[in-house]
Amino acid sequence: MVQSTQDADISLLNINQGITCLTSGVLNPQLGYDSLLVGTQTNLLAYDVHSNSDLFYKEVSDGANAIVLGTLGDISSPLAIIGGNCALQGFDYEGNDLFWTVTGDNVRSLALCDFDGDGKTELLVGSEDFDIRVFKEDEIVAEMSETETITALSPMYGSRFGYALSNGTVGVYDKTARYWRIKSKNHAMSIHAFDLNSDGVCELITGWSNGKVDARSDRTGEVIFKDNFASSIAGLVEGDYRMDGNTQLICCSVDGEVRGYLPGGEEMKGNLMDASAEQDLIRELSQKKQNLLLELRNYEENAKAELNTQLKEADGRRGVIPANTQLQTALSVNLGSDSQSAHVELCISTTNDTIIRAVLIFAEGIFEGESHVVHPSLQNLSGCVRVPLTPPKDVPVDLHIKAFVGYRNSTQFHVFELTRQLPRFSMYALSSPDSAAEPLSYVNCTMNERAQRIVMWLNQSFLLPEDAELQSAPFQVCFTSLRNAGQLCIKIKPGGEISISTDDIDLAGDIIQSMASFLAIEDLQVEADFPAYFEELRKVLVKVDERHAVNQRLTADMAEHSNLIRSMLVQAEDARLLGDMKNMKKRYIELYDLNRDLINQYKIRCNNHTELLNNLKAVNQAIQRAGRLRVGKPKTQVITACRDAIRNNNFNMLFRIMRVGTASS
Amino acid sequence: MGSWLGATRAAAHGCRGNGGAAAVGGAGPGAAERWGRRGAARRRRRRCAALLLAMELSLARVDYLQVGVTSQKTMKLLPASGRKATQKVVVGDQDGVITCFGIKKGEAVPVFKTLPGQKIARLELGGALNTPQEKIFVATGSEVRGFTKRGKQFLSFETNLTESIKAMHISGADLFLCASYIYNHYCDCKDQHYYLSGDKINDVLCLPVEKVNCITPVLACQDRVLRVLQGSDLLYEVEVSGPPTVLALNNGNGSDSGEEIVFGTSDGKVGLIQITGSNPVHKWEIGNEKKRGGILCIDSFDILGDGVKELLIGRDDGVLEVYNFESADDPVLRYDHALSESIASVQGGCVGKDGYDEILACTYSGWLTGLTTEPIHREGGSGEELKLSQEMQSKISSLRSELEHLQMKVLQEREKYQQSSQSSTAVSSVPAFSVNDKFTLNKDDASYSLILEVQTAIDNVLVQSDVPIDLLDVDKNSAVVSFSSCDSEPNSNFLLATYRCQANTTRLELKVRSIEGQYGTLQAYVTPRIQPKTCQVHQYQIKPLSLHQRTHSIDHDRPMNTLMLKGQFSFAEIHSWVVFCLPEVPEKTPAGESITFYFQNTFLGTQLESTYRKGEGFFKSDNISTISILKDVLSKEATKRKINLNISYDINEESVRYTLKLIHPKLEYQQLLAKKVHLIDALKELQVHEGNVDFLLPKYRSILEEADQLLEEYKKQPAHLERLYGMITDLFIDKFKFKGTNVKTKVPLLLEVLDGCDQDGLIAFFEAAA
Repeated sequence: MVQSTQDADISLLNINQGITCLTSGVLNPQLGYDSLLVGTQTNLLAYDVHSNSDLFYKEVSDGANAIVLGTLGDISSPLAIIGGNCALQGFDYEGNDLFWTVTGDNVRSLALCDFDGDGKTELLVGSEDFDIRVFKEDEIVAEMSETETITALSPMYGSRFGYALSNGTVGVYDKTARYWRIKSKNHAMSIHAFDLNSDGVCELITGWSNGKVDARSDRTGEVIFKDNFASSIAGLVEGDYRMDGNTQLICCSVDGEVRGYLPGGEEMKGNLMDASAEQDLIRELSQKKQNLLLELRNYEENAKAELNTQLKEADGRRGVIPANTQLQTALSVNLGSDSQSAHVELCISTTNDTIIRAVLIFAEGIFEGESHVVHPSLQNLSGCVRVPLTPPKDVPVDLHIKAFVGYRNSTQFHVFELTRQLPRFSMYALSSPDSAAEPLSYVNCTMNERAQRIVMWLNQSFLLPEDAELQSAPFQVCFTSLRNAGQLCIKIKPGGEISISTDDIDLAGDIIQSMASFLAIEDLQVEADFPAYFEELRKVLVKVDERHAVNQRLTADMAEHSNLIRSMLVQAEDARLLGDMKNMKKRYIELYDLNRDLINQYKIRCNNHTELLNNLKAVNQAIQRAGRLRVGKPKTQVITACRDAIRNNNFNMLFRIMRVGTASS
Repeated sequence: MGSWLGATRAAAHGCRGNGGAAAVGGAGPGAAERWGRRGAARRRRRRCAALLLAMELSLARVDYLQVGVTSQKTMKLLPASGRKATQKVVVGDQDGVITCFGIKKGEAVPVFKTLPGQKIARLELGGALNTPQEKIFVATGSEVRGFTKRGKQFLSFETNLTESIKAMHISGADLFLCASYIYNHYCDCKDQHYYLSGDKINDVLCLPVEKVNCITPVLACQDRVLRVLQGSDLLYEVEVSGPPTVLALNNGNGSDSGEEIVFGTSDGKVGLIQITGSNPVHKWEIGNEKKRGGILCIDSFDILGDGVKELLIGRDDGVLEVYNFESADDPVLRYDHALSESIASVQGGCVGKDGYDEILACTYSGWLTGLTTEPIHREGGSGEELKLSQEMQSKISSLRSELEHLQMKVLQEREKYQQSSQSSTAVSSVPAFSVNDKFTLNKDDASYSLILEVQTAIDNVLVQSDVPIDLLDVDKNSAVVSFSSCDSEPNSNFLLATYRCQANTTRLELKVRSIEGQYGTLQAYVTPRIQPKTCQVHQYQIKPLSLHQRTHSIDHDRPMNTLMLKGQFSFAEIHSWVVFCLPEVPEKTPAGESITFYFQNTFLGTQLESTYRKGEGFFKSDNISTISILKDVLSKEATKRKINLNISYDINEESVRYTLKLIHPKLEYQQLLAKKVHLIDALKELQVHEGNVDFLLPKYRSILEEADQLLEEYKKQPAHLERLYGMITDLFIDKFKFKGTNVKTKVPLLLEVLDGCDQDGLIAFFEAAA
């Protein structure tokens, strides 16, 4: 740690690596003061600022994208939990790795929160696959799907927590239910829970990319306070910065402007907005009244229009359409043609001679933005619009459809609004069982369920041409993926035995999870085999070893080179002092060459490292996928067992666990 | 859409702009501290200055009442009568209803209300000269009606105008009316004088007769000219800097001479001009540096109580401003307040409570809002405060019960409507709602802004364009924009974007950047949050020479290229082609045999002169690209109508060099700016590391010092450099197109030369490339 040259009260600690996350807090309860924790792409440093020494310095191969400090579940000592590429790791003050598990994708945000109200904290993990997962120690107790990467999580009060997404959404969850959310065109840079209005409940404070800071009620999302900075907010924290016993909310902008806010006093009664709240209420009520009056007038005018029922040209322009016009929608699977790839087709049509001027579909996660527009040119107008949809992920999506219905020359249109749900597995088309070879990979399990219930699940989750005939077990359905033509077969055998054959391990996991939640199954053990995937994984594991070896060799080389540099530099300087310019030049040229070599080596090291990271991520993902094939306790068991197998470098054991779910035979 | 994103209402709360900063103070004195490292002191100073001003004039906002949608200048305060000091308010809306009310104990008490009818375009007060002006006159359609202050109609004057009245002024027995292009003067309802203007008339005024002793009407015309008339003839024209939208007498009476008028323009400027008998004298002008909205209404009133009347200005972006005068020619902004929608009318007076002056504004959607000097929380006994909130409470509860009643009724009607959808003969009409839109070219950054305002909250807006255009981000706009993928074939969509508005957004501002030579239509589908849900489509033309703006004069000494057209076409035909090609040209064919318009390219500063008559047209420009675009579009238009055109052109080689010299400083400046901005981060890093910047070269030190301004400027003109490159490339291609050579292959070379940023090299390249 170095005292800064310009400011006596600033001390600098140089890490020599890009810092990816930072926190401070009580890590060692015996120490009696806070420790500093610094995460980088490869290491975690726990630092004792008071004695200017390291507590521990750990290599974390999965990187540290996010960090949180606190106690987790029944683990007694405080942990520094870091989230990296698909992995979560927790260290105590001695650097012992007391907690480890995997998650679906790169972790972007972490928080500790008493999610189920049992007095012990659970870990919330927000990751790049848009999911918020809740870990009760290493068991996943809940999973919430969001619409974008979760960039921030903040515990608020009890089981309530705030979250922020990379698309400008912030909101509050209570357990698995979303209380509210709002979306802004700006991005939330930082969120924090702080009781600004002294009502005993924390508000969600958000720092935005446009420099706005706002405090929103945890219950309604209503803004109770806001302020503006000249530039984007860099971070929000709370603390007693002035050492006067009052905790402040402190906001810092990227320009370096810092403002502190004290909570409002008792007399404010939670009302931080100015006194014109009543005025605003009156305004709001009047606006409502005006809207109602407007609506009434609309109906009156409509009644007038009804008196002369003859549809005239001019009426068409004004947007008068027959009252019995209806909008029909149909979802179907389109297998595509030469010019168009296979897709799910949404067909929207009117029931008479009216035309659809434009269709707006608002849906999350299936378009580039939040909406998709179909606007045919004037000559292509008709009463029917077909919209191709290709959801990239297997999640159920609500399609909020707005269709502008009128006539060709209308300047005003009726807006028909309706919502359709796109089933979870809509990108799979029903195919005949014998059309293609059945995939080699499979998952087998036993569910004590009637076949009818499974047929219900099929109807709900797939786009079936007509309702699948109610069949008694055994029966078999086959699907073809519209994305990559992969096959999927679901066989129901008598005795509740179910077999799912597909080469896509993710899809198998999704199907198991979807069935389990539909049929309310708590624990499910399966037998699985994915030969192709396992083979790939084996290769990856070999690669990981190779990379590790390369890394070691490179490190050794580097050490050697640095010795060489030292001696060369001494020689060169000697030559300079002796006035032997020729030799000096020679040495320096050599040094230059060596330097170039080092730089090249460094590049190789970098590449090697990225490669290693990718491979490690693949391994973590594999464990997570193996877990997703099971439900409940077996799921946790698989993950822990896999970890142990990897620790012991026992690959055969690993694959065995992935297949049957346990280590022991 | 609000429902699927949960509590979107809350988001709107965040957008409505009332004083959050004050609440910081409220959280305890000095509750908010600032430890800014950079520029904090400056910011603090600015804050203090703002605070001082606010102390001088602090006005509290009161919303009185909402009427229908209102047009510009349709609200007036009646003079106080008898011993009562408070004034009555009279307002006319687009439903044709005139509402007159006074305020008693904070409640609006109606005096009279007329029945609905045609849209009211203007409302003015009149009366015999030198008596209180308390007769109410409204212009609806082509008719002028007069009402007494009690609401009794005493006049219904059906004018002989074929169009509806757009502007009106009343002075004693003299009535001045304007339709789109026609001005008419009546005295005692008898036709006196008539004038046909070259462009649309936005407002009319007459200098006070009692002071200037002759009738001197002034017309504010769209072609950036005030036309001063005498009888039926034009006395002279006054050129102003933007299209004037509103006129007012300075101090309400034209000052001592009676000759001073204040005008406001649609690009947000305000100026004072003295109209003497022979020539105009420009006194002062307030620019629009803050890029606020266009001016809709002006009034003079002494709200500060210092004995001098202040200037009150209402803008179309909802900003209300108060200027006062330290000296007669130096207006200083004293106060501003942002309402959420455009301010159609403004007047100062005493309305809410005896003894407290206030500014009353009437907004587009018909809200009558007062900014009063009466403090909201009186510091007297607690009893009074209680009473005040009781008033509020009763107001709120009465509103609530009214709402409940309405809700019931609406539910019934809704059911009826639903039932009608079962019948096969019934029709369903779309409720009409009014959209206030404005599509204008901004001179500063050569982009178009599209402003959409609806009387109720907007749900979403779909923007579609069949030409390639860029949609730019607007800070004020809080709506969530989402771009949809486009299919240029076969549906000719080049832009499809949806704006999903936060709750309570009634006004939406978009910014669009066009490319000259690419023309077509921009369409906006506006869906408000009213039931039954409907949407309205509005179309805006992107013209071939979209970045050109009308000017009063051009520099005739520049080397010009000429395009000559000859053929069997009428004056009206060639005029319609010019209207098609260029913005700001009146649609009506001008009177006379020939006409000349001057234009300036807002981006490059090049110019265009167009002179045409029946059978021939001349277009002169120093920019070859302009001529090239005109040639292409005109020949296409003529072919469409099967008219044989004889097109000849006279290309002046010198003009290319001249234009390049004109552009080059801009290019150099932008390249330098880009370079400097590029360096800022690195320099800042150095500064932090080294602790000081003494070791840097002065030029780098100055970059650091000016970093904020540089960044701001850079941010203000996104893609400026790219656009310049594009236009120079066009110039290059067009130059050789006229020679019959295709030089598209040489464009990469040109770009290299451009990066070199050497003027002589560039000119040499242009000359050598052939």
